[in-house]
Amino acid sequence: MTEPLAIWIGAIVTLAVFSYLARDNPFYRLVQQAALGAAVGIAIVVTWQQVLYPMWLTPIVKAFQGAADWKGALWLLALVPGSLWYFQLSKRWFWVSTLVTGLFVGVAAGLAFKNQVLLIMPQVGACLKPLDPWAGPEGFTWPALLDCLNNLLMLVGLLATLLYFFFSVKTDRRWLAGPMRFGRLMIMVALGAMFGNTVMTRMAYLIERLQFLYETWLRPLLTIHGS
Amino acid sequence: MAPWLARLHDLNPRWLYLATGLLMIVPFVILIPMPAGTPSRATQGLYDAIESCPPDKVVWIDSSWDQGSRAENEAQLECVVRHLCRQHIRFVVTSVGITPFGPEFADRTIKPIAEKAGYVYGRDWVNTGFVQAPTPASLALIINGLARDFHSIRPADVHGTPIGDLPLMQKVRTIRDIHVIYAITYSPAQEWISFIKGQFGTPVAFGCMSIMAPSYYAFLDSGQLCGVLIGNRGAAQYEALIGRPSLGTRLSMAQSFGNAAIILAALVGNLGWWAARRARRKAP
Repeated sequence: MTEPLAIWIGAIVTLAVFSYLARDNPFYRLVQQAALGAAVGIAIVVTWQQVLYPMWLTPIVKAFQGAADWKGALWLLALVPGSLWYFQLSKRWFWVSTLVTGLFVGVAAGLAFKNQVLLIMPQVGACLKPLDPWAGPEGFTWPALLDCLNNLLMLVGLLATLLYFFFSVKTDRRWLAGPMRFGRLMIMVALGAMFGNTVMTRMAYLIERLQFLYETWLRPLLTIHGS
Repeated sequence: MAPWLARLHDLNPRWLYLATGLLMIVPFVILIPMPAGTPSRATQGLYDAIESCPPDKVVWIDSSWDQGSRAENEAQLECVVRHLCRQHIRFVVTSVGITPFGPEFADRTIKPIAEKAGYVYGRDWVNTGFVQAPTPASLALIINGLARDFHSIRPADVHGTPIGDLPLMQKVRTIRDIHVIYAITYSPAQEWISFIKGQFGTPVAFGCMSIMAPSYYAFLDSGQLCGVLIGNRGAAQYEALIGRPSLGTRLSMAQSFGNAAIILAALVGNLGWWAARRARRKAP
């Protein structure tokens, strides 16, 4: 009985959300607030069930019971840096919390630096692409020529886009106007592609709900009444 | 000029919403065969990576999506799991950082396909559950930790079974046991690229919402990503590659109808605007 009830609740909530398209109304606002509350509540429960209980509390309890390695009890130490965050609530003892924030900022900065190096360096390498159609092992071929033209377009687009964002020298020279305009064009093409994909994603959201309304809720109802 | 044409300019947008909605339901009511098109390099890359998986390795799927991005991520997970089952490739599922509902949604999608293919939980596939990682730094640490020693980061699976008791996980300990990582979520974190592909050299592929696709093309070109499934279109192309049209194809078809509705609405709106302007000019 729970499955049909869940489907009915889902359908009513979906229709209440869609009703906003007609005009703002109390049903829409009720559902919006309820969804936020439910998401936070469920997230707390799931975090306890799947993270804190099995990964933090269980090793500690088992260590004290002697059912597991004593090292599990070391998880108790996590309470020390964890509780330091709460000193942010006090003006007088705020400095205590900076011990843990400093540690976290340091770790985050180190990892972010490593992350960027590992991400960006291969990107720089990938920008160096062949521009000579005769350079391949088979000599000149039409696909090689097309590849080289593609690479050239990528290179020119890259340099023009970088130029558009180059603010260290005066860029109001006449000979720079053309490349900068091309750079702006490249950015507009990229933004156009992003907008097209945005429409696709929004559409996918709508389709998923329409599919639910029709296939999961409405069609079984029609089948029952039809038979 | 017909006056009704000029009136299109002032058409209440709610009629357009209704028309678009109704049009998008059509593919669910009537089965309309439509070609999925030639698979893109992004889709083909993931397919090839999975096809080349040796028998002694597994595929690591990070399924970190819930209702919020189900519209596209579900089909992306479904088609790849179908492919894995067809090729008898074992896989490990994690949900790192994004949503605590990830394991449940992954289970709901994978279980029916795996059971139908005769896959046994624990022997052929494992869902290791949710790992909390609220910041990019903690995400990087978790990914790194999982790659170095899976068991220390996830001591139990999603059902609470000690991970060492699962036959599959006795063979999967570090990144050396993984052939490819496939991360599916609204916008997969770049930390997968830097801390897995960059550090260990293991191929990484993404399944993302269409809106995020332009962010990943650069990584595809540089070889940092071996493949990307982009929205339902990517899932539909993948389904065409494995020869089994399913959810992605159906959703993609509805999306085509929606796109057609938007193009039509833009044309009609412009026609109405043009007719209204013409009528205004002619007016005394």
